[in-house]
Amino acid sequence: MTTALSLANSRRPDGTRVLTVIGEIDMSNAATFAAALTDAVDTDFEAVDAGHLVVDLTAVEYLDSAGLAALFPHAERIQLVVTPLLEPLLTISGLADLTTVHRP
Amino acid sequence: MSSGGHQPRGDADVFAVDEEIGRDLARVDWAATSLGPPADWPQSLQTAVRILLSSRFPMWMAWGPQLTFFCNAAYRRDTLGRKYPWALGRPASEVWAEIWDDIGPRIDTVLNTGQATWDDALLLFLERAGYREETYHTFSYSPLRNDTGGLVGMLCVVREDTDRVIGERRMATLRDLGSDPSVVRTEQEMLAFAARQLDRNRRDLPFTLTYLFSDDGHARLAAATGFTAAHPAAAATLSPADPEALWPTAKLLEGESARVPLDGDRFAGLPTGDWPKAPTEALLVPLRQQGVVPYGFLVAGVNHYRALDDGYRGFIELAAGHVATGIASARSYQAQQRRAEELAELDRAKTTFFSNISHEFRTPLTLIMGPLDELRLRLHDAEQPVQEELEVIRRNGLRLGKLVNSLLDFSRIEAGRMQARYEPVDLAAATVDLASVFRSAIERAGLTFEVDCPPLAEPVHLDRGMWEKVVLNLLSNALKFTFHGAIRVTLRAEDGQAVVRIADTGVGVPEDEMPRLFERFHRIENSRSRSNEGSGIGLALVKELVGLHGGTITADSAPGEGTTFTIRLPFGTAHLPAVALAPAVTGTAVVSASAEPFVQEALRWLPAIIGPVTAVDHDQPVEDGHLRRGVPARVLVADDNADMREYLIRLLRNAGHRVDAVADGQEALELARAETPDLVVSDVMMPRLDGLRLVAALRADPRTAGTPVLLLSARAGQEASIEGLEAGADDYLVKPFSAAELLARVRANVELARLRSHHARWRTALVDSLQEAFFVCAEDGSVVEVNAAFTDILGYGPEDLRNGPVQPWWPDPDIEPEAHRQVTEAFEVLLRQSHGSYTAPVTHRDGHRLWVAATFNQVDDPDTGRRMIVGTFRDVTAEHYAVQRESALAALSMRLSQAEDLTDALHGVLAELRRLWRAAGVLAAVFDGAHAPVLTATDPELRWDALAEQQRRDLTALRDKPLLTPVAGHTGGAGITVEHPHGTMAIWIDLGEKRPFTEQDQTLLALLAGHLSQGLHRVHQIDQQRETALALQRAILGPAQLPTGFAVRYAPATRPLKVGGDWYDTVELPDGRIGIVVGDCVGHGLQAATVMGQLRSACRALLLQDSSPAQTLTALDRFAALLPGAACATVFCGVLDLLTGELRYSSAGHPPAVIAHPDGTVHLLDQGRSRPLAVRPGLDRPEADCVVPARATLLLYTDGLVERRRQPLSVGIANAAAAIQTGRAAPIESLASDVMDQMAPDGGYDDDVALLLYRHPGPLELEFPAESTHLAPVRSALRNWLDRCGLAPANAYNVLVAAGEACANAIEHGNHDSSGGRILLRAAATADDLRLSVTDTGRWRTPQPAANSHRGRGLVLMQALMDTITVTAGTAGTTVDMQARITR
Repeated sequence: MTTALSLANSRRPDGTRVLTVIGEIDMSNAATFAAALTDAVDTDFEAVDAGHLVVDLTAVEYLDSAGLAALFPHAERIQLVVTPLLEPLLTISGLADLTTVHRP
Repeated sequence: MSSGGHQPRGDADVFAVDEEIGRDLARVDWAATSLGPPADWPQSLQTAVRILLSSRFPMWMAWGPQLTFFCNAAYRRDTLGRKYPWALGRPASEVWAEIWDDIGPRIDTVLNTGQATWDDALLLFLERAGYREETYHTFSYSPLRNDTGGLVGMLCVVREDTDRVIGERRMATLRDLGSDPSVVRTEQEMLAFAARQLDRNRRDLPFTLTYLFSDDGHARLAAATGFTAAHPAAAATLSPADPEALWPTAKLLEGESARVPLDGDRFAGLPTGDWPKAPTEALLVPLRQQGVVPYGFLVAGVNHYRALDDGYRGFIELAAGHVATGIASARSYQAQQRRAEELAELDRAKTTFFSNISHEFRTPLTLIMGPLDELRLRLHDAEQPVQEELEVIRRNGLRLGKLVNSLLDFSRIEAGRMQARYEPVDLAAATVDLASVFRSAIERAGLTFEVDCPPLAEPVHLDRGMWEKVVLNLLSNALKFTFHGAIRVTLRAEDGQAVVRIADTGVGVPEDEMPRLFERFHRIENSRSRSNEGSGIGLALVKELVGLHGGTITADSAPGEGTTFTIRLPFGTAHLPAVALAPAVTGTAVVSASAEPFVQEALRWLPAIIGPVTAVDHDQPVEDGHLRRGVPARVLVADDNADMREYLIRLLRNAGHRVDAVADGQEALELARAETPDLVVSDVMMPRLDGLRLVAALRADPRTAGTPVLLLSARAGQEASIEGLEAGADDYLVKPFSAAELLARVRANVELARLRSHHARWRTALVDSLQEAFFVCAEDGSVVEVNAAFTDILGYGPEDLRNGPVQPWWPDPDIEPEAHRQVTEAFEVLLRQSHGSYTAPVTHRDGHRLWVAATFNQVDDPDTGRRMIVGTFRDVTAEHYAVQRESALAALSMRLSQAEDLTDALHGVLAELRRLWRAAGVLAAVFDGAHAPVLTATDPELRWDALAEQQRRDLTALRDKPLLTPVAGHTGGAGITVEHPHGTMAIWIDLGEKRPFTEQDQTLLALLAGHLSQGLHRVHQIDQQRETALALQRAILGPAQLPTGFAVRYAPATRPLKVGGDWYDTVELPDGRIGIVVGDCVGHGLQAATVMGQLRSACRALLLQDSSPAQTLTALDRFAALLPGAACATVFCGVLDLLTGELRYSSAGHPPAVIAHPDGTVHLLDQGRSRPLAVRPGLDRPEADCVVPARATLLLYTDGLVERRRQPLSVGIANAAAAIQTGRAAPIESLASDVMDQMAPDGGYDDDVALLLYRHPGPLELEFPAESTHLAPVRSALRNWLDRCGLAPANAYNVLVAAGEACANAIEHGNHDSSGGRILLRAAATADDLRLSVTDTGRWRTPQPAANSHRGRGLVLMQALMDTITVTAGTAGTTVDMQARITR
């Protein structure tokens, strides 16, 4: 059984693309998450400025090093929205230094 | 129970220990008794019989349901009498039916309580000699146990005290009879006193009658004891002629004893004394007096319960002897008293009479003689007949005048009014002149008269008048008794004295008259003389007169050969009163007119002078028969003056005494010590050792301390005599003394000494008849006197006594230093204290050890005034060893009862044996057959292999000796073999060098070994029982498949090791909740454990049926009411929701559970309480709810954990709560161990303890395949658990991620290294932190961030999120331990 994860792409009124992640990300579904992330970044690679993909992790209840591993390659082209629960993790892993982190 | 296939041995030879008793025991048809054949007897019975038979102390024992009787040879000899061998194997109640009322309850006590009894000299009426006999026994009953420790019989160690008790009683009576001589005044008083003493011993003398014979031979009742009313047997008078008389008076009158059976109506209703039945026999004993018919006789009723044996008869005879002595003494006292009074009166009257009459005579005599002389002158030429008649008148007038003058002289001397005038006189001339007066008369009598008086160098001071009377009296006396031969007067100076001898060749004086020669008014009867005239006053006056001159006069005489009087007069004036001295009167050598009557009188005796024989002398000598009956005495004379010595010898020999004479005090002392005289007569002034020092030396020596001493001294005056008497002299006589006075004093002192020695003989008889040993010690501890019992007990007699404290019966200090020390200490007590008692070891002459209990008193010897120690002792050897045995057994039992197991028991026992014998060491080797012997020793380091080869061989040899038979080694030690549960055990006691192992030691060792063997078997059985019970308990309690979060403990009580009825339980209920129970059944042991098991099961079943704790307990009430032993059990029952921590509980009289919160507060679950189980079954019980918060700890326990003596329960509960609270951060298992350790008292738990701990929530434990798909549900469960742990979300999230990373790592490794790997996640919380562990079955690969950067990142995350991370990699797998503090 794979860990529950739903991924949804959307666009804000200002045109910013948002990847909304709901569920948990661990080694069992990290690949799915990574693929979706890459897909979203790559899909709009030409049109979008760096940093214009917002990955909304507000509804992610669990994220570990497998999920971080998916985020790191795209750090310069994404912005993150996380609850305070996940913040220490981003800080400890150094991802917060590479990308912009927003509170919801 | 024995192990290793070992079988008890030696059944067949159970009776072989004592050949004689054993043979008779073997003849008993045991199969017919309740004990069955000996082959089937249990080990304990065999042991007991062996001990019994091998003991030399009297013992019997009773065993089994019928208390079957056994005894040993000593008991048979001392006590059993004719009941042997009939008694063997019979019920004890049959053997001792007659005393069963006395001893039955004691035996019951022993069998019911296991407590030994002790009775000292108990009176028991035994029928062992054909009659009911008064006997006394000192005994103890000790319990006997069977192989399983049950009480099955008793052992009686007994010493028969009959002889001692009865002997002491009789001795007391005899002592009392002689106790107060002051009461012996009159015969009546004496008889009343004796009767009171006899009446005090109504056991030996139920009644007595004292008859005294009258002169007519009739017997008159003088005293009676025991009678309260008139009785025909106590007839007031008895006639010897009456054939119908009750008592054979005639026979007793002849001095014979008689035994009279008291049957027939005449003797009905006699007094019974202290007994239920009256005497059936009386012993009649004469009250003997020396040489004549008895004073009377004593009738003594004989104790119904004692045979009239030699001892009894001797006692009655001694009592009668004492009564007889008392009568003699009273009668003699009265006679003496009467005579003394009469004599004194007579003497007074006589003196007054003579004094008056003499004066009265002189006046008429003068008026007769004056006119007579006138008449003679006027009628000188008258007729012859007229002249002759005038001459007759004149002669008799002169004689009467002489007589009156002599009497007057005496009166004067007695009244001290003799006026003397001492002037220096030429004694030779004076004596020759006086002699010449008698020459014609003597020559006319046809005798030769020789006067040989050469002049002396110096004059002698004389009163001329007195001297005339001396010489004339003596010459007249000589003439009177001499018919042939010569009269001779000589004068010599001898030894500084003038010695005048007047000797004749007359009839002489019979030897027996010599002592009284100079007594006043004493005349020698039936003696041939020229005249029967004589007043018996002449020689007495001579003696007094010579005495006034400071001289002495003695007489030597042989019947038929003549008599010599010797007068010794001192020269000089030192011996004379100064006021009476006068200068010499010149020309006075003229014989005074007073000489004429002597000559005239003497001439009248001669045949040539015709004259009528007138004046028949009626003077009667004073008959002093009483004093004259004295037996000759042995007198020792000490005087340096040979003449004086000779004089004294002669005087005393003539008086019939045996005389030894010596020249000084030293010789006298030596002679007196060699052979004690009856009397010592000693001068005061002597060379070498003077009289006073002689007295002191005699008094200082116990052998001569009582010998009377009469001192003679020339020193007059009161001071001198006081000095002499103070020195201890009995009498004092100042020189010059009259022969009569000396002899009277000698006689008085000898009589006194005889009386004393009579007392001494009586005292010796009394002391010798004491059954207790008697001794007298001097101040330095020298034993100076012992009695017969002393010799009986110690084997040493008076001849063995040594000077100084150390006596031959003292234990040898080299061989027995301990015994020597004890006797030395006892001896110091004896010397230091004024009275007291002690018990000490002594050595009998034949070498065996005795223990004696002595009582002593210091007394002052009335003769010498010195401090003496008088003591008695008795042989308490048997008691000593009985006490030693009892205390050794008690100590041994104590050791055995305190032992935790067999090994501990053996260690304790060996230590006890070592202590008891003060041994260097004690070894025990158990030979179990299979292995090398197992050695136990007081030296804990010692092993079998470390023993010397010889020691190993000795122990092995000991193994093959018979069981329970002590073996004394030749190298200072002893061994014995006993049965150990694992095989034969050889015990060796190493005493060290030169210590004997006595017979008593051997008996004690055998006894202890017997108990040891039984005790070890008992410990072994208890061991096994305990192990069984513990195993059972543990089997019932565990192995509980405990829900997670719980920890439980059970500990049995440590001393005495007991399992009990405590339990804990957890029950998983259908609704997912958990029932938790802790309970405590009443009592200990297997039975309590069984009850506990049943209650536990019932409680469990009830909880499963209905999850209400209150209802469960109510239902359990009903169950417990039906289950024996279950009532009053206490139970705490709760139902716990593991998810929420909600707890519903009810307590049946159980101590409250405790909750320790993570913040450090504690809370007691003291609601829902009610009574213990089955106390009021049917009543509802309350219950209460509470919540166990996250990370709080719940404690359930039984009272063994908290209950302490002298401490309220609340203190113990608070202590337990504090322990939980302190340990709230510790893992639950280690907390359980810590609490059990912390709460245990110093000596371990004295009650069993059950304990149950729960910490909420219980630990999480997840096991899952190492596949990533399992991660999400694991995480979910962990999240849920963390939530129940009350963690803050951020805190929980960190833990969750760290755990996730660890699991991810594990999945990676599991996948790589093996297929089907599994992962175990464990998580547990304490109050303050969390511990997690993730274990897999693989090996972690080295982090390679470059190749797989996110894996490396995982580790970094874990380290960052948790406080500590430990990775332990092993061949079987890898474990990650993580710990995180909980933030609030």
